[in-house]
Amino acid sequence: MKNIISNSFSTLFKISCLTLGLGLLSACNEKELLNPLPETSLQADQVFATPTRVLAQVNGMYKGLKSGNLLGGRYPMLQDIRGEEFLNRLNNIFTGFDAWNHTINSGSNDALTTWSSAYAAINSANLVIDGLAVHNDVVSAETTAAYVAEAKFVRALAYYCLITFYGQPYQKDAGASPGIPLRLNGETGTDNNDKAKSSVAEVYAQILKDLNEAETALPLGYPTAVLNTTRAHRNTVIALKTRVYLTMGLNDMVITEAKKIVPAAMPFIAATGVAHALQPQVTTIFQSSYTTTESIFSMPMAALDYVSGQSSLGYEYNNNQEYSLNPAGIYGNAAWPATDARKTMVRTNTTGAYLTKYQHALFLDYVPVLRYAEVLLNYAEAAAKTGDLNKGVELLRAVRKRADANYVFPAAAVSSATALVNTILLERRIEFLGEGLRSNDLLRNLLPIPAKGTAPGISPAQPEYIFPIPNAEISSNHAL
Amino acid sequence: MKKSLLYDRVKNRAWRLSKFGTLTSLTICLLSSTTSGRSVYANAIPVSKNSLKNVRFTASINISGVVKDETGATLPGVSVKLKGSTIATVTDINGKFVIVVPDEQATLVFGYMGYLSKEVLVGKQKMVEVSLVPDAKLLNDVVVVGYGTQTKAEFTGSASRVSGESLKDMPVQSFDQGLAGKATGVSIAQPNGVLNNPPVIRIRGVNSISLSSYPLIVVDGIPINTGNSAGNAQVANNPLGDINPADIESVNILKDAASTAIYGSRAAAGVILITTKSGKTGKAKVNYEAWAGITNAVRLPQLLNAEQFMSIKNEATLNSKLLSGNENNAAVPSASFFPSYHADGSMVDTDWLAEVYQTGVSQNHSINFSGGTEATKYYFSTNYSKQEGLIKTNEFTRKAVRFNLDHQLTSFIKLKANVNYNNSLNASPQTGSLEGNAFGLTSIARLATLSAPNVVAQNADGTYNMSNSNTLGMGANTVSSNFYNPSALLAYNRYSSENDRIIGNFVVDVDLIKNLSYHLSYGVDRFKIENKAFESAQHGPGNAAGGRANNSSVLIDNWNLTHTLTYAGKIGEKNNLSLLAGYDVQKFKNSAWGAQRTGLADSFYEHYEGSFQNIEPGTANFRSEKAFASMFGRLSYDYDKKYFATINYRRDGNSALGSGKKYGDFGGISGGWALSAEDFYQDSGIADVMSSVKLRASWGRVGNGNIANNFGSLSLYTSSLYGTAPTFAFSQGGNPDLGWETSKQTNVGADIGFFNDRVTVDVTYYNNNVDGLILNVPQSPSKGIPGNAILQNIGAMYNRGIEFGISAQVINKGDFSWNTNFNYTYNKNQVTDLFGAGSEIVGTTATASETTNITRVGYPVGSLYGAVTDGVNPVNGQRIFINAAGERVQYSQSVASGQSRWTYLDGRTAAAINVNDYQILGNALPTFYGGFNNTFKYKNFDLGVNFTYSGGNYIQNGTKGTWRDQRFWNNSTEVLTRWTTPGQETDIPRVVLGDLLSNGSSFPISENVEKADFIRLQTASLGYRFSPTIFGKSGISSLRIYGQVYNAFLITNYTGQDPDISVNGNNNTTPGVDKNSVPQGRTFTFGVNIGF
Repeated sequence: MKNIISNSFSTLFKISCLTLGLGLLSACNEKELLNPLPETSLQADQVFATPTRVLAQVNGMYKGLKSGNLLGGRYPMLQDIRGEEFLNRLNNIFTGFDAWNHTINSGSNDALTTWSSAYAAINSANLVIDGLAVHNDVVSAETTAAYVAEAKFVRALAYYCLITFYGQPYQKDAGASPGIPLRLNGETGTDNNDKAKSSVAEVYAQILKDLNEAETALPLGYPTAVLNTTRAHRNTVIALKTRVYLTMGLNDMVITEAKKIVPAAMPFIAATGVAHALQPQVTTIFQSSYTTTESIFSMPMAALDYVSGQSSLGYEYNNNQEYSLNPAGIYGNAAWPATDARKTMVRTNTTGAYLTKYQHALFLDYVPVLRYAEVLLNYAEAAAKTGDLNKGVELLRAVRKRADANYVFPAAAVSSATALVNTILLERRIEFLGEGLRSNDLLRNLLPIPAKGTAPGISPAQPEYIFPIPNAEISSNHAL
Repeated sequence: MKKSLLYDRVKNRAWRLSKFGTLTSLTICLLSSTTSGRSVYANAIPVSKNSLKNVRFTASINISGVVKDETGATLPGVSVKLKGSTIATVTDINGKFVIVVPDEQATLVFGYMGYLSKEVLVGKQKMVEVSLVPDAKLLNDVVVVGYGTQTKAEFTGSASRVSGESLKDMPVQSFDQGLAGKATGVSIAQPNGVLNNPPVIRIRGVNSISLSSYPLIVVDGIPINTGNSAGNAQVANNPLGDINPADIESVNILKDAASTAIYGSRAAAGVILITTKSGKTGKAKVNYEAWAGITNAVRLPQLLNAEQFMSIKNEATLNSKLLSGNENNAAVPSASFFPSYHADGSMVDTDWLAEVYQTGVSQNHSINFSGGTEATKYYFSTNYSKQEGLIKTNEFTRKAVRFNLDHQLTSFIKLKANVNYNNSLNASPQTGSLEGNAFGLTSIARLATLSAPNVVAQNADGTYNMSNSNTLGMGANTVSSNFYNPSALLAYNRYSSENDRIIGNFVVDVDLIKNLSYHLSYGVDRFKIENKAFESAQHGPGNAAGGRANNSSVLIDNWNLTHTLTYAGKIGEKNNLSLLAGYDVQKFKNSAWGAQRTGLADSFYEHYEGSFQNIEPGTANFRSEKAFASMFGRLSYDYDKKYFATINYRRDGNSALGSGKKYGDFGGISGGWALSAEDFYQDSGIADVMSSVKLRASWGRVGNGNIANNFGSLSLYTSSLYGTAPTFAFSQGGNPDLGWETSKQTNVGADIGFFNDRVTVDVTYYNNNVDGLILNVPQSPSKGIPGNAILQNIGAMYNRGIEFGISAQVINKGDFSWNTNFNYTYNKNQVTDLFGAGSEIVGTTATASETTNITRVGYPVGSLYGAVTDGVNPVNGQRIFINAAGERVQYSQSVASGQSRWTYLDGRTAAAINVNDYQILGNALPTFYGGFNNTFKYKNFDLGVNFTYSGGNYIQNGTKGTWRDQRFWNNSTEVLTRWTTPGQETDIPRVVLGDLLSNGSSFPISENVEKADFIRLQTASLGYRFSPTIFGKSGISSLRIYGQVYNAFLITNYTGQDPDISVNGNNNTTPGVDKNSVPQGRTFTFGVNIGF
């Protein structure tokens, strides 16, 4: 009996030790247990800890711009399909059918995702600006200034994307129309849901303020071609300014800015900063090198970072044939003959003609945002509108002859300011087909959006002329 | 001698206890960390007491005998004891025993677990034959509660019990699917017919908005993982499918806060306690249970055949041409749909439903053996289940083993171990039925209904009919499809999710001193999930990538340590007291890794391991952890088994909450009065009719902190790439003040027995007020907060209802018996507060594709939401909508340039209907539900007929929108009654090609909202139990064969596939949406149960 008891005692003793061990493990580590640290995310207070992380945040802002819903694909696609160049083949609202058809309403997906992704990019820029003001000793003052300038560029570009979509054209009433909320401080918490709309003019003023400040603080260039194409340097800002001023109809300002990077005479190669120039072969920039000096700013794609699926331009226009080229659009226009190299970026089959600018099998084509060709045509249009027909024609020819060396513009097409402006606009339709400039070219000139296929035309007076502010904003922002 | 021995034992134990205390008090932890329920093993003590008795005999008589059960089968392992002595034996394999008794006055006591014990006076008999009858009351008398058990009399909360017996033969993948209609207050809805899809379980309504409304599931004391843990968007994977239903002894469902509060914050949606089977003393018993069956889809739509399809779609094409003012424009076609022909000249008329659906064949085998001695009891089981779904290639295979062991180590230490290993393989095509998939291009159910019937599935040469742009070839039709060929998808692509899982626990019970016991439980639930997807380059979503394989490995690891101390004793004669104190820690660590390979080297390869050009990390990679650390206690008291009271308390710590809000205090109090135990009641005449009456009431406060995001309170940045440059970007707006949701529950009820408890009735009223709801509060998108939302505690709602259950032994006459159970639950859910005036939560189906629901103050959670329609204009066949201003506007898909699609009925241009015109279209949550279960027995036949019913809610029949969509899609035959001539009254608008709006395919419309009330014959089974006499010496002791039909029929006015369907699964804010889901199946099984 004694044996049994002592045996059972020793068993109990062992068990209590076990228990003790487990008890220690659990209860005493309770604080640690209940405060686990995420292992795949950084907490907000750690992102300014090292120069590497600050740089990563700078790249993070660009990543915001590159969202599939924004410049990574959907934004240029929406800009194009609202115009007249494409026919929607599959009636799929996930691939822009309602934007193409002008049936976007404030509850539509595209109205919300474009809005939120642009503002997410703006917020990331604001957070960098705010954060660097506090953590001013992590990187050098010079680098800090350059990063802040990049943030301002990102913010300006995102606001430009927003105001040209959700605001009435500046030229309608010199920006007197209500625009969108201007958010200039980083948001991380639950406050500040309410923010009134600024006028279109105020938004443009902010865009230009940011760009002017960015221009002076940005470096002239970076060590590699990839960086020169994917991050903002001085000429990137200048190029964007030509677009912004052109949108506002401030042609003199377009010319002033353009002159900074377009020499007075051919060859047109930027004299300061990155030596931007047209490439001899237009196809080069889409098919062989995404980082030539013609690509001023592009959204990079890489094996581990690309936009695929229904927001991918390659998927939409080529791979899945969501949109064919409208025979009644620029594709069928006599001013775009088959001799033009740009027409090689179209393929046809029994169901129609398809744009192959984005043809990479794995969707790794960079998405161009600003090209030197655009700066030249921005300049050309401003020159034409201000009566400098010679300059306008010279720049226009530079672009056309690069693709079609023997093309001769009919005299009537370039002989008057009006005709020249129209010819330049037509050239833009050819040159930037599928690059997201078309509907803004219509809107900034207060032109109606033409009908195509079964989709009706839209006049500037109709509400469908611009995108509606999304419901999600209306319901949570009571100051709107 | 006897006294001193006892004294020594007590002293020793006391010493041990003090030593124990000293050891543990080295840290403060243990005293707060010791726990567990009223020991069910307390019977260890009487045995040791008996052994202390010293009995002498005067004479001896040899008695032999045999013990049988109620069916006449012999019962091995029955304990046979001489009353008042230690003399005992057990019956042998043939139920026989021999025992020596002192004299003819001796009384033998026959005892067998689950049976009423029986006493037999020996008298002159030398040969005793005894029949034992099951003790239904004993089985039902124990209520499994948190960390222990209580008797039904003591239990003053609210719980339902379902026996394992009623679940084991069901042709389901997981036991929870079988609970439908079986317990009051518990609603189980099967959202689709895809195998192993978790059902929607709601105990007393939806008790949260953003957090899971899935109850806490505790298996043998360990809270286990639930929900779609696999994170697999293609293949359903219910972790509860890892438990073999045949291993379940009982399911107890705790419903009110007073009962669940002991689980504190994890119990807001109720607690389901699973107890698995354990061995019983006696010779080994072996049971083999098997069934085989077939499953077919029911209530599939009637689709247009090829001829009807071409006729309708060409009419639509022509209408479009006319309405768009292109009457004379030759460039716009008048017809686009043309027949294709087989080689033999016959016209192609493909039945796409037959291409996708099949008759699934299933089989299930379970074998268990159990037995034991007084000291060691074991239960071992194994299961093989292979079930085919009603969709081709949908398959569920489970291989499982379980080993449960109880061992009395010493007279005061008892060990217990349960181990369950399971492998389950779920394979499925992309069905479009899982949450978020309603609009998938690959959704098989949707493809089966919309694919053109006038084109072939396979060409004459056996290749699949595909266009050059990776879509279904459209034959002679001149329109293109953006959808795949479903037959090719089924042939080329494979998706699976496989679980390897161990659930085990180890328990030590120590009787420290009299009435005080210590319980230690350590449990693990560790499972590895392998998700595999292979998408061929030949056709389908893998085409663009040149073939794609995506594998991921998910590890879900959770351990749980519980200590409890239990005291149960009496103060005086009539004061019964039991106390429980405990400490519980549970830690979850989940992670997943994997990669995607694209660019298949050769079509020979069909697996991730083959040769590919590229690889990139999978999107599902993550690491996450959370922990709970809690103290709890319970005090139960009763006076003379008449007045009962229980107090529960838990202090919970939850790692997922904000830094200052980790801890929360929860608890409940309940009381009961056994009115019928009072003398005055017994003496009154009413006691003859109402034999027992117990009144009970409870109040409690529980929390809910089951945030899916374990780091939801933190502001976070995550890294990705910009091209090839690393980035960090703001990824989550945090809220350090994120705390508990609290729910305060009041519960009042009565348990009443009539006619000596032949009829029992229980009725309960409950009121559950939830506040501090954790909501993903929308932030103005212009703030740029990721996801445009931050978790905050804001908002309130309630669930109020009545539960009523009646069980009766209606007939028990001779060879015939009829037992019935009817249960009914009424529940009213209403949101009383959200984040400020006018705030509402919009619920969207398939991520953000379609706004279908709204959660608004004054209405139930997730009410149906959409555009109000008012029939079809007889003048022009256009759908009429009612806008926010109450005006009637009509829609025409095609209009001439410059005209408006939206007009008032007088032709003036109207604004387009958009979300701002949406109205609440109906409550999506059932307001009443229940079951009606009947068992008839006649001689050796048994018949089970079990109905479930539910209603009071509405469904957005979005699938109807698909069936009537006027793009190039096929339609249901309903469109044959479309508008064609002025003056015609119909509910189907004029068909116009491309019109996805008029019939609700673009956004939800009230036209498609239907009442969901239904009665379902859930199971009907007919069994025959062979008389044991025929088995002779074969070793077989019982044999029952049965046939069963599962989901036999449905009585409903719902015109869709099934009123239970929910395309958004368990999502709280988007219930009641039917959109392109696979319907449920009807299963016929034949089964056999053999006992040895």
